[in-house]
Amino acid sequence: MTSTFCDERRVIRSPWLGDVEWDPKCELFFPHGLPGFEDERRMIPVEIPAQRPLVYLQSLEQPQVCFVCMPVLVIDPVFRLSLSDEERATLAIAGSAAPVPGRDVLCLGLLVPSGDTVEVNLAAPIVISLMNSCCLQTVAGSASCFRLAPDGRWVAQC
Amino acid sequence: MGGAVLVVRRRVGETIVIGDSIEVTIIEISPTRVKLGVMAPREVSVTRQETLAVAADNRRAAGFLGSGKVDGVLRMLGRAEA
Repeated sequence: MTSTFCDERRVIRSPWLGDVEWDPKCELFFPHGLPGFEDERRMIPVEIPAQRPLVYLQSLEQPQVCFVCMPVLVIDPVFRLSLSDEERATLAIAGSAAPVPGRDVLCLGLLVPSGDTVEVNLAAPIVISLMNSCCLQTVAGSASCFRLAPDGRWVAQC
Repeated sequence: MGGAVLVVRRRVGETIVIGDSIEVTIIEISPTRVKLGVMAPREVSVTRQETLAVAADNRRAAGFLGSGKVDGVLRMLGRAEA
């Protein structure tokens, strides 16, 4: 199992993913951690080809911390990202135009277990800068929840 | 959270004080937003309400892999592709 975009190998022993080889160049830096996980500053993205479009965010600080995510555009193809000036500065996004997912940033929704399925709050995506590998979880004022239906479709909840 | 709500009218640059050591100053007002400056002791947590909800969601998300439900979710996602 390998992290995406790797070259110089290191290994983290994840209780969930096994031994994961990773390259320092693919390390993601969260200057403020995540809400509830403020000390989780260093993570790597891990993709398992058979499980796409899932993306695992494996902590390099605590091996037992690992999040399961999906690209937001898979959930909501018309998703639009909104960032504050401070967030844009953290992510090194120049200009005032809205950053484009896939070109300027990658946006991942965190899968939250709910009964036998999962929900994602697209008002709180994880934003990965393609400029400097800095990341943050932006939090908008009101939730935008999607729930995975048994037929595999994502259904807006709020 | 119970109790009465204190309503205070303030202008830009004016401040309210909570207890002995917390100050909230109105920095900027726009048609849809108010920018506040909060001065509080380091040991006092100052957080937006929606961030608290996201923190709770994140803690649940961190438990997803231990729930044994990932395979079920993958099956559901596979149905969408079929």
